[in-house]
Amino acid sequence: MHDFLSFLPLLIICAGAILLMLLSAFEKIQVEIASFVSMGFFGAAFFVQLVVGCGPETELFAKVFNGMLVSSNFTMVAGLIILGCGFFTAMSANSYFKVNLFCTLEFYSIMMFAACGMLLLTMAQELISAFIALEIMSLAIYILVGYDRANVTATEAILKYLMLGAFAGAFFTMGTALIYGAAATTKFASIAAFISSNSASNALLIAGAFFIFVAFLFKVAAFPFHAWVIDVYDGAAAPVTGFMATALKTAVFVVFANFLAMSVDLHSDWITFLFYVSVFTMFGGNLVAIGQSNLKRMLAASGIVHSGYLLIGLVAISADNFTGSVIGYYLAAYAVGTLGIFAALSYLGGEGEKRASFEDFKGLAKVRPYSAAAITVFLLSMAGIPPTAGFMGKFYIITSAISAGQTALAVLGVVSSILSMWYYLRLIINMYFHDAEDSFEIKGSPLAIGGTFALVICVFAIGLYPIVI
Amino acid sequence: MFEYALSVMIFLPILAGVAMFLFPISRGASRIAGLIVSLIILLMGVEMFLGFTGTGGMEYLEHRPWVESLGISYGLGVDGISLLVLMTGAILFPMVFAIFTTQSKGYYANLLIAQGAMIGAICATDLVLFYIFWEVMLLPIFFMIGIYGGPKRLPATLKITIYTIAGSLLMLAALVYVGVSYHNQFGKWSFDIVQLSALDLGGGFAILAFLMFMVAFAIKIPLFPFHTWLPDAYTEAPTATTFVLSAIMAKIGVYGVIRFVVPVFEIEFARFAILLSLAGVTGMMYCGLAAIAQKDMKRMLAFSSASHMGIIALGVFCMNVQALTGSLFQIAAHATSTGVLFLFVGLMEERMGTREIGDLGGIAYRAPIFATFFAIAMLASVGLPGTSGFIGEFLIILGAIKFNGFIGFLAGTSLIIGVCYMLWMFQRVFFEKTNDRTIEFQDLKVSEILTFLPVIILIIAMGIFPQTFIKKIEPAAQLQVAKVYAMTQSQVAETKVPTPGHNNHKN
Repeated sequence: MHDFLSFLPLLIICAGAILLMLLSAFEKIQVEIASFVSMGFFGAAFFVQLVVGCGPETELFAKVFNGMLVSSNFTMVAGLIILGCGFFTAMSANSYFKVNLFCTLEFYSIMMFAACGMLLLTMAQELISAFIALEIMSLAIYILVGYDRANVTATEAILKYLMLGAFAGAFFTMGTALIYGAAATTKFASIAAFISSNSASNALLIAGAFFIFVAFLFKVAAFPFHAWVIDVYDGAAAPVTGFMATALKTAVFVVFANFLAMSVDLHSDWITFLFYVSVFTMFGGNLVAIGQSNLKRMLAASGIVHSGYLLIGLVAISADNFTGSVIGYYLAAYAVGTLGIFAALSYLGGEGEKRASFEDFKGLAKVRPYSAAAITVFLLSMAGIPPTAGFMGKFYIITSAISAGQTALAVLGVVSSILSMWYYLRLIINMYFHDAEDSFEIKGSPLAIGGTFALVICVFAIGLYPIVI
Repeated sequence: MFEYALSVMIFLPILAGVAMFLFPISRGASRIAGLIVSLIILLMGVEMFLGFTGTGGMEYLEHRPWVESLGISYGLGVDGISLLVLMTGAILFPMVFAIFTTQSKGYYANLLIAQGAMIGAICATDLVLFYIFWEVMLLPIFFMIGIYGGPKRLPATLKITIYTIAGSLLMLAALVYVGVSYHNQFGKWSFDIVQLSALDLGGGFAILAFLMFMVAFAIKIPLFPFHTWLPDAYTEAPTATTFVLSAIMAKIGVYGVIRFVVPVFEIEFARFAILLSLAGVTGMMYCGLAAIAQKDMKRMLAFSSASHMGIIALGVFCMNVQALTGSLFQIAAHATSTGVLFLFVGLMEERMGTREIGDLGGIAYRAPIFATFFAIAMLASVGLPGTSGFIGEFLIILGAIKFNGFIGFLAGTSLIIGVCYMLWMFQRVFFEKTNDRTIEFQDLKVSEILTFLPVIILIIAMGIFPQTFIKKIEPAAQLQVAKVYAMTQSQVAETKVPTPGHNNHKN
């Protein structure tokens, strides 16, 4: 029974996706209704996930799935984040598509399929099911990115993302094949058993793990596979970008952490590699972000930096006693801040996202003080200023790094967050310290506004009651 | 009811400030609300001061676990070290609301939030809680300088913000290092300052962490050579912000060193004491000399404030009871004198539209009461016997000579610089010929006299009856010194430094 309940959120989302797919055959049903339906399903699944909770690690339907899917506290938290992201994205998409009219009913259906893939990915403890989940998620996201077919930047974005993403998928399969060649299994538990009885420094195993890392690093936009993210985030519609930046990153980091944590030897062999990837990701991301004048591009680059912080968390996980709480918390903190700012962009962006650059937001505080205050809260959370969730997240990451003896990495992380202050402050300065040139009229439904302010509360609530840890 | 006094003093202003932002109330109403809140805090502060027993331990304790898995708690308390700092944060605010009547709602709201956060930073006994308030108190300052500041406010805002945030983030890393070291040595998590003082740190990482803490506090104080943000920020900030920055926020930097750095990093502190005290003396002299050259009154006071912070910091680095008591006393004395001077300059600017020393003159003939008040505050800042400034500076110099004759000599002589710029400025602004601008100058109104009078009386009272204050702070200072400064310099020099990796056995 518990197995079924743990699986239930995934089934609910899947049912919702199929239902919407069928509903879109009817002409009379409007796009707005679809957004309410998907909000309802996301909300219900979130609620079920929250109520069911989760005990220790359990294999779901061990007889049927043969231990391919495992649920734990970590996957539950990740599931909550993903479902929350889906809910708020549907909310801001509702407002966004009142102004930008290229949406059809399938949009929400595809978004829910993406969420299915993500939920499955968090629970996957076997390489082939991870690959399937990864592809379900990625294919859905590709479509979402290029949804506005008339838009040239969106087309450019989907082309880049699809081509490179296909490579990443190929790398993943290659890695799976090599690991299978070495260990004769694709299950995490069996691979771990193989490593502990033999050793992790088997050529096939190293190459296989490396290819899998490449795929994961590509998906989370870590150095040196981060170049695509700027254009793709810029080309996609604001709600989609928010969904990609948060839910997708959550899902991939969870499976990444699960993969790394399966064996102490594997983790310790790759620490140095991950150390450098993390450092270059943080500083490379900062360099890119400092130069941006477009808000979405800056957020994309700051997403790279946050991937770097999460990689610190991955370096510091203790594989023999893995809980994932630090990474889970940071993902939640990052998700609320990022989702919030994209929700705000969804209704402030205007028709065709005409307000996109730092300059366009000059004087927002004079005209729309509450929206400006909300954006400020999200930016401060991303910058890690107390008492927001982002601060606690950063605090846990640094604590875990120093506890694991990675003091240098912690200090570099701190230095990188000093650098990142510049571009977060820049938007705050533009909003508050200049006079308004724009009237910032808002059209469409108030749902995105409601979502934005709900997320402000979440930022403080998660920051002040860090229950996950 | 007084059980939760500290929490009320922290969160009443913060909540009032946030409420002002959220609800559309008029400018006047927000000022009155701010005045009422700050008066309540003032009364609570006075009550707390009178009820304070001064035995050397923490009083008005509040303790509640917050994040149990990491041992972070919501811990508040006041002892002799924080008492006077807390008083400066609690009792000076009503003046600002009483004098500046024409500011906008956001201005008053930011002031209240700054006050709450500063009181929080002063009372926190948990390192993480302290850090949170320490960061939060920067935000209102950022917005106040950026929105209500002078013409060159943007560079000034960026400078102060980037400087302080860089410092605080370094402190965050050091703070976590301290917490993790505690976990490694004692097997449990805690950020409580009393427990952290049991830590035995050593090796390269400890020195690095010590320096990170010191940089954060040195930026806030500001200690030479981290003072370069100060002249711009103080000059461009609106008067009330300058007042908050100089009178209270800078003091929290010194207070942070005494409360958090000294107990944890005894050995490193003793080792660096000479260097740090030299930085203090250098800052004193350098900023004093720079003050002489200023043409803008506010900028001159900014440099003077930096110069005085140098001597207050010096008192902490001398590591003896006299100097420490002197520093703690001087914190309150300097807050009253320089804080009031900044307010006076703000008033002059409001009335005459300029603060260039060269444009002014002969104000004493037009406004005798104003001139008298100004003179008293100025003389206190210079350290004339009979005013509050004398006691503090005397004790600090005494301690400095005890600590190191040369440094004491330097500190003593550089006090003369303070006399130079202050008296020269006073002569040019208040005497000499009256000109077109100053001929119209109105003396203080009755309401303004009533606002300033208590503080002026306080300045004189602190100078004549210092014992009332010193007896409350001395036991705590003695305890602190006894605990921490037990080792002399030569002993420290001979201590065997644990090899790196002593605490970080995993490294």
